[in-house]
Amino acid sequence: MTPDRHGSAVITFPSDLEVVITRQFDAPIALVFDVLTRPEHVRHWGATPPDEMTECLIDLRVGGSYRSSFVTGDGTVFAFHGTYLEVEPPNRTVQTWHFNCWPDVEAVETMELHEADAVTTFTWSLAFADQAGRDHMTKFDGRQDSLDAIENTLRSLLNPKPA
Amino acid sequence: MARAATTSDVFNAVADLHRRQILDALITGEKSVGTLVGDLAMAQPQVSKHLRVLSEVGLVRSRPEGRYRLYRLSPEKLRPLHAWVGKYEQAINDRLDRIDDYLHHLQRQGNGSDT
Repeated sequence: MTPDRHGSAVITFPSDLEVVITRQFDAPIALVFDVLTRPEHVRHWGATPPDEMTECLIDLRVGGSYRSSFVTGDGTVFAFHGTYLEVEPPNRTVQTWHFNCWPDVEAVETMELHEADAVTTFTWSLAFADQAGRDHMTKFDGRQDSLDAIENTLRSLLNPKPA
Repeated sequence: MARAATTSDVFNAVADLHRRQILDALITGEKSVGTLVGDLAMAQPQVSKHLRVLSEVGLVRSRPEGRYRLYRLSPEKLRPLHAWVGKYEQAINDRLDRIDDYLHHLQRQGNGSDT
């Protein structure tokens, strides 16, 4: 029997410019890598119901691009895109990260996998180019758009990989 | 973080799942009780009761519109809601749990890493 790992993600903010999420999976590294990087797999888990994933393009090579789009029940579109900077199957990809709701934000996303004792550890990090970028993640200033900020933070973290 | 008395405590107000669902439903804009009842599969007296609590702590405001009353979020009261981060953490976990479930599914099928 493998342990129930539901709810076990660890979220940390190791620096002013970074958010890191780690999670273990009871699966071989090659399979986890495929599930995270192949559109035919990503479409199975990408959207958070009731959202729908409407686009999932992944050109997994250095210089290749990815693009994913989601639509919520009320028709709001959340879209992510970027370009791969490093591709090292099955261990690591690094890519630029752009989110349509935060057009001013520059970030680099890193996905790393390590396997030990039949357990694959997934580490996802997002590093922002400047403090203003990470403030989108953490700043709830109580003004008119607080809820939007929370919701956008959710949306962005909900789509953590080169999906 | 210090907390206010229960009757004015925003944390208490959002500790209830149904009240959080009402807040979530109001993210997209102001709504009548009838619309919320339809959106949330909650009985009208229940929705009205929760709206009263949310109004008392200032998370929701209302205004009359014709024969109805429309409710909207009052986000300035959300400052103490770092507890909302709990939802954010839950959402991240939900997504990763879906990957986990999908991996188990593939492995049970035994056709995992092929195309």
